[in-house]
Amino acid sequence: MILTGVLLAVFGLGLVGWFAARGRARLLYKGRGSMHSMPGYHGWHLALWIVVPALVAWLVWQAVMPGLVEGTVFASPAAQGLPTDPFQLGAIVAEAHTIAADPSAVAFNPEAQRLVEPFRQAQVKFGLMGAVIVLIVAFAGGAFGFTRIRPDFRARTYVERLVLGVLLAASLLAILTTFGIVASLVFEAGMFFKDVSPIAFLTGTHWSPASTMGDNIDNNFGAVPLFWGTIYIGAIIAMIVAIPLGLMSAIYLTQYATRDVRKWVKPMLEILAGIPTVVYGYFAALTVAPFIRDFAASIGMVNPSTESALAAGLVMGVMIIPFVSSMADDALAAVPRAMSDGSLALGATRSETIKKVLLPAALPGIVAGVMLAISRAIGETMIVVMAAGAAANLSANPFASMTTVTYQIVQMLTGDQEFNSPKTLSAFALGLVLFIVTLILNIVALRVVKRFREAYE
Amino acid sequence: MSKSDWNSPEAVRRLAKRHAAEKRFKFIGLAAIVLSLGFLALLLVIMLKNGLGGLDWDFLSGSDSTDASTAGVWGAAKGSLLTMLVTLLLSFPMGVLAAIYLEEFAPKKKWIEWVEVSINNLAAVPSIIFGLLGLAVFINTFQMPRSSPLVGGLTLALMTMPVIVISGRNAIKAVPPSIREAAYGIGASKVQTTFHHVLPLALPGILTGTIIGMARALGETAPLLMIGMRAFVVTPPDSLTAPSSVLPMQIFLWSDEIDKAFVQNTSAAIIVLLVFLLAMNGIAIYLRNKFEVRW
Repeated sequence: MILTGVLLAVFGLGLVGWFAARGRARLLYKGRGSMHSMPGYHGWHLALWIVVPALVAWLVWQAVMPGLVEGTVFASPAAQGLPTDPFQLGAIVAEAHTIAADPSAVAFNPEAQRLVEPFRQAQVKFGLMGAVIVLIVAFAGGAFGFTRIRPDFRARTYVERLVLGVLLAASLLAILTTFGIVASLVFEAGMFFKDVSPIAFLTGTHWSPASTMGDNIDNNFGAVPLFWGTIYIGAIIAMIVAIPLGLMSAIYLTQYATRDVRKWVKPMLEILAGIPTVVYGYFAALTVAPFIRDFAASIGMVNPSTESALAAGLVMGVMIIPFVSSMADDALAAVPRAMSDGSLALGATRSETIKKVLLPAALPGIVAGVMLAISRAIGETMIVVMAAGAAANLSANPFASMTTVTYQIVQMLTGDQEFNSPKTLSAFALGLVLFIVTLILNIVALRVVKRFREAYE
Repeated sequence: MSKSDWNSPEAVRRLAKRHAAEKRFKFIGLAAIVLSLGFLALLLVIMLKNGLGGLDWDFLSGSDSTDASTAGVWGAAKGSLLTMLVTLLLSFPMGVLAAIYLEEFAPKKKWIEWVEVSINNLAAVPSIIFGLLGLAVFINTFQMPRSSPLVGGLTLALMTMPVIVISGRNAIKAVPPSIREAAYGIGASKVQTTFHHVLPLALPGILTGTIIGMARALGETAPLLMIGMRAFVVTPPDSLTAPSSVLPMQIFLWSDEIDKAFVQNTSAAIIVLLVFLLAMNGIAIYLRNKFEVRW
């Protein structure tokens, strides 16, 4: 509580410092060229000298204060006779902590009630102490900054250096995120591979993580049916839908449609890409899946399941259409106009030009676009969670229920399992495989696109 | 080739065949578009047909319930709002600052290339991977409260930031060098030029990209499933650390209910979500058309 107030006070002081320094710098101004920096920069310089050291002090105090408070509480007479078992002790201290923060809460342990008063006193004592320290740092920083206001002081240089530092830190966040993803996936997957051999995981064909008891744990974590389901749904069925539809719409829109049609149809196609995947998933489960089940029954399948690879793959393909379409659009647009003009001038019809000249020339770009589309399809989660099913089948029957990597990740991590069982950890191993595969697809595709653009420039 | 060759029956036949092929090809293209848009129309019509009857004030202001007739979306919508707030406050400044650095200040060095590669890849990493990151880092390592808007917002912010960086860089790149040179010419420093002249001119483009990124984050379910944002919320969350749900998650949870009455709720919640998304995309398009300057 007190420390929050101090934080506000520090920012208030910073504001005051900004005006004070600017005012002082203005008094020093004696005409053109008399000062290195504008008064505003002197203001910022002083404000930063007040706020930054005080913030650092505040953070440090925030980190050490709980330890100091607990130390005082344990030293107080009320803490005598507490249980020595660290687990019980922890529970009591946590309870006392809650009650100290919120007087309306009721104590469960009588010991906790005894500790509340010392707790509160210690918190107030150390809170005040911290407030004083932070304010002293703020004033010290401010005083130091204030003495530096002189006409020849390079306030702007210093302020800009800090701005650059902040900009750099922001762009490093991207690297940090990538590093965080790799580190957390590798670490947790490493724990998983302590129990299950990677070879069994990558080549086994039996997936039933629910029955992990016993010695043959390796036999229950064979992920091949998952990989197959992912490829079958995301890279085969979805692409059979998305590539022809996406490519043909791109061709029609760029080669045949009038400007007005293009202006209206393109944003409408893009709406398809903007619909949340959970909506597609619901649509697949509610409408498409029963339709496909009835269709399967009508062609003589026995007991077709509602959850089919076909339903998930079809809907996923529709979701990917605008993606393929816009990639193909870019690829076609990158082909020099002279090539198609040449073909048309020789007497080829438009469709002949497209098939014989434009498409071959744009092929690398289109292939790269399809790779990106596949990477997106295999990482797609909600559609398969809602429409594809949980059974790990290694079959080529599109009407069968199939499961995917993403489905199993969700399955392993929702619900209440303990965190460090091989079952939950297997989700991270699957995530690692997914991450590596999509990474390779993306890097290769982006490189192909870049080469392809350069070739025609 | 003499003129009479073109009139020979064989040539006429061949020409007619080619023209028929041309027509066929054009028709296939048109059919592809009609089929795609037809699917969109079918989806919207089914959702409207199922959900429109359930849209009333009680539904919009209520929270989740085990009884379909009293369940509403406000609890989930408020969770979405809080989550989006965290996402926006983190990803927008960070994304813009990173875009400025990479476009205006970054030295041409090897490690900058690494930053660029990693941003481009992050934009294409499956969203569920970000969920795994959130689970491992924010919840297991930092012990942040599970299923809270804070953790959800942090996770989605990491996912949205690359999108903002990429669109921000494009917007900054589109500002012509003459603007910068004019500012240098009257004595502005590089930082002054960037913040006083380049950034304001690039801002509409950056905002467009931000809104599109936020719309994507608003519709995202998978990463939030990982960090357990599937709380059964009877009262709307009142803080960033309270357990909460979000709109897409509410749709997912209701779609799992066996009770047929929830079909209407699910579809109605989908309508609410789609209205939000369309509004956001509409604003983005409006901004782009209104403020975009062609240099």
